[in-house]
Amino acid sequence: MPFLFPPLKTLNLTKRLSAEERRASIIKVAKRLFAQSGFHGVSIDEIVKEVGVSPAILYRHFESKDELYEAVLHEFSATRESYVEAVVADDTSFEQVLRGMTTVFISSIMNHPDMLKMEMHSQLEGSEASQEFFLNRWKSFTDYIEFNLTELQSLKKIEPINAKAAALIYQGIIREVLLQKCMQQTDRFHDTPITTLVDEVISLFMKIIEPAKV
Amino acid sequence: MSFDAELDAKGLNCPLPILRAKKAISALSSGQVLKIIATDPGSVKDFEAFCNQTGNELLSSAEAGGAFEFMIKKS
Repeated sequence: MPFLFPPLKTLNLTKRLSAEERRASIIKVAKRLFAQSGFHGVSIDEIVKEVGVSPAILYRHFESKDELYEAVLHEFSATRESYVEAVVADDTSFEQVLRGMTTVFISSIMNHPDMLKMEMHSQLEGSEASQEFFLNRWKSFTDYIEFNLTELQSLKKIEPINAKAAALIYQGIIREVLLQKCMQQTDRFHDTPITTLVDEVISLFMKIIEPAKV
Repeated sequence: MSFDAELDAKGLNCPLPILRAKKAISALSSGQVLKIIATDPGSVKDFEAFCNQTGNELLSSAEAGGAFEFMIKKS
């Protein structure tokens, strides 16, 4: 009996995605749409339309829009910044480590601008889970600043300072730098590379911390 | 497992637990063990990376009741 080719339709000419690839492609589209319009601004219908699948397929992977949103956040957390290198470096002065951490954080956000956009939406939408997720990323900075400034004060190396307020100031500065460079693209800082801008704002921030007067 | 010093880093976000562990380890002598308790889930990967980069030995890494416990032996 001669060898027969199988009928064309079973040949799998249109690329069929594995369950894992399908899931990833849904997350990818959802991420873009959530970044554009926020959690409430996107419907499951819009997402499936863009992915090009039926709602039934989406629901096979995600029980609800909430679950899909969480999956997007989860993916961001997998790209979580590692500050280990900034910490094990030889120079572990307060300023040097802060610079190292900030550089890591900024480049991570520059690579995932959708995360910043989702954070901005979540501020308005007020979902507790997502706000906690985004706050937690800032907590690395506020913890670091609060703890170290408190310690430096108790060792009498710096003049008294409200460590909590200093941490808040820093968070505000860095968030604004990110907004200016990633989202608003204003003319004001158009020609300033982000690394230069970060360097300068850190230098200014350091001026609020006075070395102890001898 | 016995240890020579203990560090409570509960409630702190990385890299603070790492930074404090680094300080605590520098006060130990070679072969002594530091026990660290942290609650940031990111600390699991971070302590692995920390030990890889510093040459200190991560003897154990375990989770219990929402906290993570690490034993690090100074090189």
